[in-house]
Amino acid sequence: MTSASIQFLLPEILLLVAAVTIYLGGAFFNARRRWRWVAVIGLAMAALVLARQQPGVSADGAIAFDQLTFFGRWLGLGFGLLLILIAFRPLHLGGTPEYLGSLLLIVVGLMLVASAKDLVLLFLALELISIPTYIVLYLGRRDAASQESAAKYFFLSVLASAVLLYGFSFLYGTAGSTNLANIRLTLAGQVPAVAGLLPLGKLALVLVFAGLCFRIAAVPFHFYAPDVYQGTSQVNAALLSVIPKAAGLLAMVRLFDAILPGSDAYAWRTVLVIAVLTMTFGNVLALWQDDLRRLLAYSSIANAGYMLLALAVGLVSRDSMAGGTEWNALWFYLTVYALGTIGAFAVLEHLGRPGLRIDGVEELAGLARTRPAAAGVLAVCMFSLAGIPVLAGFWGKFLVFGGALYVQPAAAGGFQWWFVGAAVIGVLNAAIAAAYYLRIVGVMYFRAPLATPPAGGGYSPGAVGLVCALLLVVGGIFPQPLMSLTSGACPSGPKLSDVRPVAEAGEKRATTPACPMIRGGGEKRGTNGQLPAMPAT
Amino acid sequence: MAALLLIALFLPLLGAVLPFASRQTAQRMALGVAVVVLALTVNLVARYPASTELTATVDGAWLSWTGADIRFSIALDGLSLWLFALTSLLMIVAVLVSWEAIKEQASLFYRLLLILETGMLGVFVAQDIILFYVFFEFTLIPLFFLIGIWGSDQRRYAAIKFFLFTLAGSVLTFLGLLSLVIWNYYASSSEPALRVMTFSIPELTESLQVAVLRGAGMSLALQVAIFVALFAGFAIKVPLFPFHTWLPLAHVEAPTAGSVVLAGVLLKVGTYGFLRFNLAMLPEATAALMPWLLWLALAGTLYGAFVALAQSDIKRLIAYSSVSHMGFCMLGLFALNRLSVQGGVLQMVNHGLATGGLFAVVGMLYERYHTRQIADLGGLARRLPVLSFFALVLTLSSIALPGLGGFVGEFLVLLGVFQRAWLSDGPDWLQLRTIAVVSVTAVVLGAWYMLWLYQRVFFGPLREPARKSDDPPVRDLGLREILCLTPLVVTLLWIGLQPQFFLDRIGATVDNLVKPSVRAMDSGGRSPVPISPVSDKSSSIPANL
Repeated sequence: MTSASIQFLLPEILLLVAAVTIYLGGAFFNARRRWRWVAVIGLAMAALVLARQQPGVSADGAIAFDQLTFFGRWLGLGFGLLLILIAFRPLHLGGTPEYLGSLLLIVVGLMLVASAKDLVLLFLALELISIPTYIVLYLGRRDAASQESAAKYFFLSVLASAVLLYGFSFLYGTAGSTNLANIRLTLAGQVPAVAGLLPLGKLALVLVFAGLCFRIAAVPFHFYAPDVYQGTSQVNAALLSVIPKAAGLLAMVRLFDAILPGSDAYAWRTVLVIAVLTMTFGNVLALWQDDLRRLLAYSSIANAGYMLLALAVGLVSRDSMAGGTEWNALWFYLTVYALGTIGAFAVLEHLGRPGLRIDGVEELAGLARTRPAAAGVLAVCMFSLAGIPVLAGFWGKFLVFGGALYVQPAAAGGFQWWFVGAAVIGVLNAAIAAAYYLRIVGVMYFRAPLATPPAGGGYSPGAVGLVCALLLVVGGIFPQPLMSLTSGACPSGPKLSDVRPVAEAGEKRATTPACPMIRGGGEKRGTNGQLPAMPAT
Repeated sequence: MAALLLIALFLPLLGAVLPFASRQTAQRMALGVAVVVLALTVNLVARYPASTELTATVDGAWLSWTGADIRFSIALDGLSLWLFALTSLLMIVAVLVSWEAIKEQASLFYRLLLILETGMLGVFVAQDIILFYVFFEFTLIPLFFLIGIWGSDQRRYAAIKFFLFTLAGSVLTFLGLLSLVIWNYYASSSEPALRVMTFSIPELTESLQVAVLRGAGMSLALQVAIFVALFAGFAIKVPLFPFHTWLPLAHVEAPTAGSVVLAGVLLKVGTYGFLRFNLAMLPEATAALMPWLLWLALAGTLYGAFVALAQSDIKRLIAYSSVSHMGFCMLGLFALNRLSVQGGVLQMVNHGLATGGLFAVVGMLYERYHTRQIADLGGLARRLPVLSFFALVLTLSSIALPGLGGFVGEFLVLLGVFQRAWLSDGPDWLQLRTIAVVSVTAVVLGAWYMLWLYQRVFFGPLREPARKSDDPPVRDLGLREILCLTPLVVTLLWIGLQPQFFLDRIGATVDNLVKPSVRAMDSGGRSPVPISPVSDKSSSIPANL
């Protein structure tokens, strides 16, 4: 690892230092309030350092410096800040320093996933999210439901990691390298593969996809989500519904970019089928839920389906969309989904108090009378998740479904009707989803209050909810700024069409990442910045 | 003019976010805003030049990325103008009928009403597809709360059913609208670098027509597919039979202001969408599906009328009469004839005024007697003469008495439908003529159920529900209620006596909108006789009435 990389990773390193300080210090000083501020200051310093960095060309084989990296790192810092603020006055947590330290490690993990360009680093980064998550789930509550929740997540997560690793082993076996750039060249036929192993690319793709589908809670790897969400606290549910999802999608985009050559048609079809299944299962099952966290768990499953649709569209139109806008819909959707979901959990946290957690939909009855501000914020989040204009969620749905209709016949090999069909199923799903989001709004506004929720969760979760709601409203009325954040976020490197299989690749086994082709593409993006994606109006 | 339009559009929204708490401040604020918006609208109508050009255009960048440009673009044309005016007029009615009826959470009520006004005005002036859809969908949120919070017994069910029904249709409409944009993008140039993705409604209309003239128009199969997608949302809004089941429930459960606005304005959003998108942008599909659509519209007209005959609740009866009248409106639009389409557009305005007014009258009766059952009431003409007078005028316009607005609209629609049927010598001449003949019965049925309703409630021996001792005595209309109904009656008379004023402003725009569909009909060999000379002669008939 060169000094440039270390400089590049300074935000992550600062967060690690903060996390370790909190872990160690927490053992000696039991001053809860201070550790929270240490965590917030750590995040702020990381953000300051990150703000001074520019996307550029990576000299290191393991770390990417491109727009996607930066988008993912900012996302990680943002999520981290919101989650720590929700957990500012923890309801059920025994060991606060441990909780905060783990949360910071999870943020570091997400930021590293966005940067990783090497199978080993990518796997470690994903585990850096998973392992602290086990701790976070286990901390505090000792009842059977929370234990079940933690154990279930642990075992299934380990299994998913194993499947992912199995997929990685095929990639390594085929390419003889863990570097994604090299794997890509090998699969594209520019560098000879280990004899006869090239067809294993598809198998690797399926295994990698399956392993990551667990992280984003896609059907059929979604079964854990409702049980785990139900058994844990609001903060943890918020964490589970955004961070593993963001990590899984970042990893998918990064990996698929490398392992697509030779199996791209296969890849988008797989993703598309899973997308349709996921959104339909998630939405239909959510209709029957009476527990808020189970309901939001199914909502997060359904939203994973929309994001997979955006992923499939991105995969199929990588070569045809101008200036790296192919992932715009995915990241835009992820951002507005995360704001809506974090906002909803923040309100629920705010409404509870230590020892009393808001669980059932019925507990919100008449909230518009008893806690009008909280009801308003929650209603905004629900309408945004349902995709009703003029909230930001609408633009997410617009970009995803518009993208699906936009797929060019040539790119999809005459199968663009699959995407039209998926878009039709998708919008009908959006209408189904409105039913359960509206149910929450209806309970809050149309029912007589049963009991006033204590609202003892503190101001800080309430403020997080308010900020999320404001962002959803303002981002809905003025979507351009948010769009300019997400539209450039794509991996650097040449388009697939530039990496045509070449027969006489010879002995040029690229062990260094300084492959001219990759370098050239990266420089192009670096000098142009976001310009190709965003012409001035 | 552009500034006036922009102010009229966003003033209600501004009023809705101002801080006010007490019921009286909220009422006065809402009324003040509605009156100012109406004054601006009157100004806009007075200065509107009768041409096909868009006037009062406001245009600004909203969201753009490579090759695509979504704009904040609003303007008035002959179709928008009257629906815009209808909305701002009915909003005053909506505020005034809520004056005494809404006591709980009044400030929230008026805020939502004002937000709804901006949404509805926006639908009619949006000149960008996405902006149109944003307003179109956005109206659901305030109305959802208006029905769900201030409605009657089944309000929660009604609110959610209304929202989901409408949403389920309109998401498909959304895909249809996007498909138009994307098809046009790919068709705009064979060179990928030169393609432009326009979301502007006038540009799209023009560009799709140019594509047809170039011989590179959309294939019929694709047109039909997009037509069906658009149809899903608009047909539910109108509502066309058999997609009407949400309507009686929502109308009956909604508070009076909600019913007035729902019947008066929101149903027109559906017909407006059909005219603006289906007829103007998908001419071949419209021409090909015309007999089917006419049958559907006719079925709705007759079904609504028969079900209305069987109702025992006044509000339900008027709700079903809406189904019938809107079916008639659609009959006019889908007959693809200059006269019938103009009549259909005028009928939208008439129906908005008359039915909106009738819902207001029902609300006033309910405030006095706390019942809406026809059987509980009778002979009220003696007890409430002023109310009975207004109810009579509105009823007569609803059944198309000459001299009132309803007559002009229905007459033009029937004239156009007959013209279409008898000038057609295509293979479907028989069914077109059948439809034309049967559609006349709708007028008879309309007169039957409306007059019968009026007879039972207002004539005969006085019958009032039993009253509790502490109920206030029943009084005739007060000044506020008279002020609320007078503008409706005056406008209906105006339309009835001087329809040319309205038709002049509708005509040019609407002719332009239906031109592609009429051309598609004619080139399909259905109507080789040129329509325009005939219709020019006959369009002067209503002016001489």
